[in-house]
Amino acid sequence: MDIYLPIAEVSVNGLLLVILGAAVGFVSGMFGIGGGFLMTPVLVFMGIPPAVAVASEANHVAASSTSSVIAYGRRKAVDFRMGGVLAGGGAIGSFIGVEVFRWLRLLGQADLVVSLSYLIFLGVIGGLMLTESLGAILRRRRGEAPPPRRDRRPVWLYGLPLKMRFPRSRLYISVIPPVALGVFVGVLSAIMGVGGGFILVPAMVYILRMPAGVVVGTSLFQIILTTSLTSVLQAGRNQTVDIVLATLLLIGGVLGAQLGAKLSSRFRAEELRAILGLIVLLMGLNMGLGLFVRPEEPFVMMQGAG
Amino acid sequence: MAIDLPPPAAPAAAVASLPTPVVSAALTDTRVRVTSSFSGARIVLYGAVFDPADRPSDVVVIVRGPDQPIRMARKSRVAGLWMNGRPVVFKGAPGFYMAASTRPLEKIAGFGVLRRLGAGVDHLAINAPTEQRVETRYGVRDVVVSRLGADYLDWRRAVIRLKEKARLYDADSQGVKFVDHNLFRAEIDLPTASPIGTYTTEIILFQGGQPVYRRTRSLTVEKVGLERALYLFAHERPWTYGLASVLIALSAGWAASAAFRRS
Repeated sequence: MDIYLPIAEVSVNGLLLVILGAAVGFVSGMFGIGGGFLMTPVLVFMGIPPAVAVASEANHVAASSTSSVIAYGRRKAVDFRMGGVLAGGGAIGSFIGVEVFRWLRLLGQADLVVSLSYLIFLGVIGGLMLTESLGAILRRRRGEAPPPRRDRRPVWLYGLPLKMRFPRSRLYISVIPPVALGVFVGVLSAIMGVGGGFILVPAMVYILRMPAGVVVGTSLFQIILTTSLTSVLQAGRNQTVDIVLATLLLIGGVLGAQLGAKLSSRFRAEELRAILGLIVLLMGLNMGLGLFVRPEEPFVMMQGAG
Repeated sequence: MAIDLPPPAAPAAAVASLPTPVVSAALTDTRVRVTSSFSGARIVLYGAVFDPADRPSDVVVIVRGPDQPIRMARKSRVAGLWMNGRPVVFKGAPGFYMAASTRPLEKIAGFGVLRRLGAGVDHLAINAPTEQRVETRYGVRDVVVSRLGADYLDWRRAVIRLKEKARLYDADSQGVKFVDHNLFRAEIDLPTASPIGTYTTEIILFQGGQPVYRRTRSLTVEKVGLERALYLFAHERPWTYGLASVLIALSAGWAASAAFRRS
């Protein structure tokens, strides 16, 4: 069932898009990530222009995240205040990111920066998550006690001004680290065409020290806000949101996300992190290693005449 | 292109005693409608050569889509990484180009004739104006020098190679076939990626290595129905379109979760 997309101006199999949306939505609901880092490269591989893939994907991510946030919200697993603070930073970051990306496109280096960002961020984060969670699984198998949690509160987290209470996360910390984290993730998400959940989830656990139970829901809530804004910005400034593409993806996405969110409570947290770490690592290597291989075709044609 | 061609109804006496050969041609479809089920189109061109003297004729059909500037870069190895070089903008390249002929073009006419007509992918006037400067060399003024230097041909060939790969450029030396005495036929295959706009189809009759008659037919590729409505919505009211798409996303997410809660 081939469908011609009005903005992307290519013909793709509609059923395939729905299935893809469902698969990525499932991963998204289960791990609390937007899934953009999985979907964007697949869409580009299918021949959809990267600019359209990135912009429409933001829309799909917003839909599947909404679907799972409601599920998490009912279980009181969303810190809306923390999500709002992160998204505030994220908004600033995506404005900066869009400008940076535009400049990189003019230089012709957007591809390089995208591939390198995937390699570095996905590679490092995937690697760290995998090692950490495999360690935790092994310790549990051997029946060892988990290593004592370092309860020394980092000075930079608690010593900074502008303190704010986050009752759901049982935190009373300065808003500067979460805002800064939001800005960083916003810049990256505009450049890489992702929601940024794969960075937020570990950052909330290891840097903000949020309780594991609220991390996934909060990350998804932040993703809804950021991707909705990105979607409107992309449509308004670049006219690159393909509503047909986004709708096909999100039909599958919302259903997949529901299943993912339901199933996620059946697995142990460290097992989930290990699987996610592996997915992230493989995707990063897949995107980045191409940079080291001699290309078959030395010339590349770029979108837009700049 | 300034080529002196005999007008269709030129009085025979003006040229010589021989009457002018004439071509007439028509497309099976002059409007290609891009709908949601669009997956490319095939248009057939039919034509006939009317030549009282019955001299040996060759027909060349050239289809050009709307011009689209091309931005290209070349990858090179820097510190172990394959990186794009500085992008180069090429102008004058049609978004779609097809040259079909009864025989290989170089057998039909000489290099100069083909170059003037822009017939064949090798004769397209693709250049990179921002990379060029005009200077005086060896006392000759107004020599166009490209900063791409000797590589210019590599770049040009790459433009054509990449476009051919996308099935947007095509040269078929047997694309025009005489199906009956003086009646010829050619097929135009428009891939899904064909640009939207007006295409010109030129039918050129060659005799004795010279173009003796040209006829132009135009062809429109346009979005219709829902495709057109969405495209216009996205371009004319981009902010409303963006808000609408986000609303669809958020309400779909909400609807799915509501449906799953009940079940």
